[in-house]
Amino acid sequence: MAADRRVPAWVPATSLVLCVAGVAVAGYLTYEHYSASTTLSCPSTGTIDCLKVTTSTYSKVFGIPVALLGLLYFIAITPLCLPVAWRSPVNAVHGLRAVASLAGVAFVCYLVWAELFRIDAICLWCTGVHIITVLLFFVVCFGTALLGSPDASDMAVLDIKEPEHGSRP
Amino acid sequence: MSPSSRSAEHVRRLQAQAARRERNRRLAMAGAAIGLVVVIVAALVIAKLAGGGSSNDNATPPLHGAPQVVAKVASVPASVLDSVGAGAGVTLPKHFSGVPPLVSGGKPEVLYMGGEFCPYCAATRWGVAVSLSRFGTFSGLGLTSSASNDIFPDTATLTFHGASYSSSYVTFHGYELSDRNHQVLDTPPSADQAVFQKYDAAPYTSTAGTIPFVDLGGRYFLFGSAFDPQILQGLTHLQIADDLAKPSSPVARAVDGEANLMTAAVCQTTGQQPSSVCSSSGVKAAAARLASGG
Repeated sequence: MAADRRVPAWVPATSLVLCVAGVAVAGYLTYEHYSASTTLSCPSTGTIDCLKVTTSTYSKVFGIPVALLGLLYFIAITPLCLPVAWRSPVNAVHGLRAVASLAGVAFVCYLVWAELFRIDAICLWCTGVHIITVLLFFVVCFGTALLGSPDASDMAVLDIKEPEHGSRP
Repeated sequence: MSPSSRSAEHVRRLQAQAARRERNRRLAMAGAAIGLVVVIVAALVIAKLAGGGSSNDNATPPLHGAPQVVAKVASVPASVLDSVGAGAGVTLPKHFSGVPPLVSGGKPEVLYMGGEFCPYCAATRWGVAVSLSRFGTFSGLGLTSSASNDIFPDTATLTFHGASYSSSYVTFHGYELSDRNHQVLDTPPSADQAVFQKYDAAPYTSTAGTIPFVDLGGRYFLFGSAFDPQILQGLTHLQIADDLAKPSSPVARAVDGEANLMTAAVCQTTGQQPSSVCSSSGVKAAAARLASGG
């Protein structure tokens, strides 16, 4: 049975803002990727070296630029973070959002590992995307937890049917 | 209160309790998931800061006296460099017309590709470090030596693996492709790899893929060592660093001469900046030799 799903107003608002920010930053990195990174605005101080990261062998997964994957990810998850999606009575919407945010944060862990232990450099713009993804995961986690459980209410009703119509020892 | 009212109240309390339990359970799960992510990211950062599992695993441990040697390399007196000029027995870097400038981060880029095992790279690194120290500052430069089982064995040298460079005039990307045991060390990003593959090949050189390869802003290229590594044989890191400041020493005439030629080449890409370096007599002498091609 589908029930009314309500979350605090800050959850849809925050998640949507994070998605839009993710689209913007990942879009910039994608643009820089396809423009040969000639204008990437990022300091090059050894540890921080965006070009070293965005042009490394870890900048692609199965031949697809990671920046493009990030952009597609945020474009895909944005509709799931609209207020109307948060109010959706369809459980699959909330499950898909939770799984997507979990996949995003798992991929971020892989990319952070690659930056720290394989590329030996940190990309500030990429780190921005990573932070947005992790924050989005946090918000989605809490939002999903706060959604309430229609099933739990149903179970509570079922539990009390017995004393209402019969007797307990 | 009637029995039916009490029963309805009982139902509401049970419903509320069940809803609270379910909500608390979900919040606890959310908190655990968030905590797990925080722990994973923190563990990665801590492991990196502790130096564990980094790509430095195959590198030769820093040798004794590294700071002293690096400091001497970074501060070869200008008077010595001026005295050496274009040096002696130093091969000129090559210029090719029609090659686009190599730029990175809005600045001319100097690209070095080498390997820690390679004795010719060992010879070249000294000059690269002396030259680029006039445009900026290295940090994290380490010491190593070429392979023990190769020609010119155990040639004392620096390593660009793990080093960084900052300059307002030029960008430096240095990669040690293998360590002294021929194990893979640095993986250049695709952009620098493409430059290496394009210009360290015909028609620019007859020995494709040779290292060291140095691209000086796309203006000049160095394929192989500019001087005979035999000059450095038997010398310790500190002896070489000391000799850099002795204009009559064979080391200074080779390394400082090579450094001046590189500096003159880089000055062509920076608009002759900084002027204090590019207009120095040693660099001017090197520039004149570059211009004459001989």
